[in-house]
Amino acid sequence: MTAATERFGEPGRGGPIDRSQPRTLAAPTGYLSDVAALAGRSIRALLREPESFIPALLIPLFFFVVQVGALGKVAERAFGISSYPAFQLPVAVLFAAANTAGGNALVLDIANGYWDKLSLTPVHRSAMVIGTLIGEMFAVVGYSVLLIAFGWAIGVRFAGGEVLGALGLLGLTVLFGVGFASISVAVALATGSVRATQTTFVIFFPLLFLTPGTLPRNLMTGWFKTAVAINPVTYILEAARSFIFGFRGPVLLKGLAACIGFCAVTFLLTALAFRRRARMG
Amino acid sequence: MSHGSSRLDRMSVAILAKDLVRRFDEVEAVRGVSLEVEEGEIYGFLGPNGAGKSTIVRILTTLLEPTSGSGSVLGHDVVREPNTVRRLIGVALQEAGLDPKQTGRELLTLQARLYGLRGSVLGQQIQEVTELVGLVDALDRRIQGYSGGMKRRLDLASSLLHRPRVLFLDEPTTGLDPTSRTLIWDRVRELREQFGATIFLTTQYLEEADHLADRVAIINRGLIVREGTPEALKAEVGTDVIDVSVSDHESGAARVAILEMQSNGELPEGELRGTESGYTLFVPDGASKIAALVRGLDRAGVSTGPISISRPTLDDVFLAATGGRLQASSESQPSQDSQRVPTAQGASR
Repeated sequence: MTAATERFGEPGRGGPIDRSQPRTLAAPTGYLSDVAALAGRSIRALLREPESFIPALLIPLFFFVVQVGALGKVAERAFGISSYPAFQLPVAVLFAAANTAGGNALVLDIANGYWDKLSLTPVHRSAMVIGTLIGEMFAVVGYSVLLIAFGWAIGVRFAGGEVLGALGLLGLTVLFGVGFASISVAVALATGSVRATQTTFVIFFPLLFLTPGTLPRNLMTGWFKTAVAINPVTYILEAARSFIFGFRGPVLLKGLAACIGFCAVTFLLTALAFRRRARMG
Repeated sequence: MSHGSSRLDRMSVAILAKDLVRRFDEVEAVRGVSLEVEEGEIYGFLGPNGAGKSTIVRILTTLLEPTSGSGSVLGHDVVREPNTVRRLIGVALQEAGLDPKQTGRELLTLQARLYGLRGSVLGQQIQEVTELVGLVDALDRRIQGYSGGMKRRLDLASSLLHRPRVLFLDEPTTGLDPTSRTLIWDRVRELREQFGATIFLTTQYLEEADHLADRVAIINRGLIVREGTPEALKAEVGTDVIDVSVSDHESGAARVAILEMQSNGELPEGELRGTESGYTLFVPDGASKIAALVRGLDRAGVSTGPISISRPTLDDVFLAATGGRLQASSESQPSQDSQRVPTAQGASR
């Protein structure tokens, strides 16, 4: 059955719609209107819970300060980097982007029955997931803007152009953040288990630490170098740095490709998990 | 779908289920349920926990697909036309799943928008449903601060926003205090009278089914075991109900004495069932038999506790049909005619 016939009923097929009966007030909704209503709810919930977003922002900031404080001067001389804070800022931004609530809000809805309640309305089903992801996107934009502003305040400059560099970094980060959030959204949809969804956080460690986070790749050796080379986040991070240290075309392209590939995989997982959840009801 | 001469009849059918079966792995939660609810009817679905009530509601409200069989609402198949069905029905589920971080107004507004309400109609409907359930004052508070009864009322309000023609209420009063329960009962009656809504109500409280429903189906272990108006079902039992309390160690002697009286004609033949506190006898014209019963037990040297006589209740219908008592019945509401001791025997199997 097509969406259109489902939406408007089938009066032509001898359907027992009795025109003399009072009608309900329910009317078809647009996809975007459903998404907007649900995203609005996610964003409202986020702003209402500073206790969930303040740590997500403070932890990357803490890492940044410690790394720069401990290694800054040594690293600049040893690695031949002009500014270690500038080298570390994209790491902090990507950390924060991977620190969003992800599927946690969604799995709570599933566990407490609110998902069912929404499912009883004629809402477009996938809007329930897209609305959540837009809420995550909102969080990533917030974290990134604050961290980039912090970097700027302590003297990190974008060599290839301030506005273009900042926007580029922001755009790449948002894409990565939504892709990363999709992983736990997929787990939330597939399992409906609060614990499993929260545990998804552990993939943060290999993905974010097996990267050139502390030192450039050309100085690495052995298994670490190999592991870093196969991690897509490596290329995303290098592209993010490239926005600060001056645009380098091939690095940006590789990073963008890695980010799109990463998101393609996580979105696919989410879509599969969503179909499974929709079938289960 | 074939139609023809029966089409006019079908137009007045609000809910139709045909041979519904639902299996969860090994367990068959619903084992072949068929039912028909007329438009404007209040249909009570009475059964203990785990009888399959919620599973049937989830199937009929498009949340769950049946393993086999079919269901429809106002002629629309719940599996093939879920969105049409969703616009026609309002549902208050047993566990009111409400987002605690939103205020009541925000939750209702989101819900209303998903039903396609907007502008002044949206505002009017929110006002109307919150007045109906008496939540106007709490509307701008976060739901996490609501009491259990307020959450239920908010859930009920949200299910009414789009003026559904068929309303599913899954155990709307379970766990509520008597005041909230009475309020919900009054609202349910009003909804039918004002809007002609059809109401499908599940409950484990026999008083609720008795007071509210035009017709009652009794469900046990995934099957409907009796169906009819409460009066007809009680008349089917055909007898009065005498409850005799005896202590455990005299239970055997009491049983022997009663059976003996039945066989020698002092008491009429009739069903005798053990309960947790003693025995229940189903006998016609019970009032005239009490004296004989007391004499007989006395003669046998059995000292009894309280003996009561009552008209049959739906609980007795349930007992006669299934051999078990409804769980949790009569707990917060004294039953109509006499104090009867509720027992949980057989209900949780």
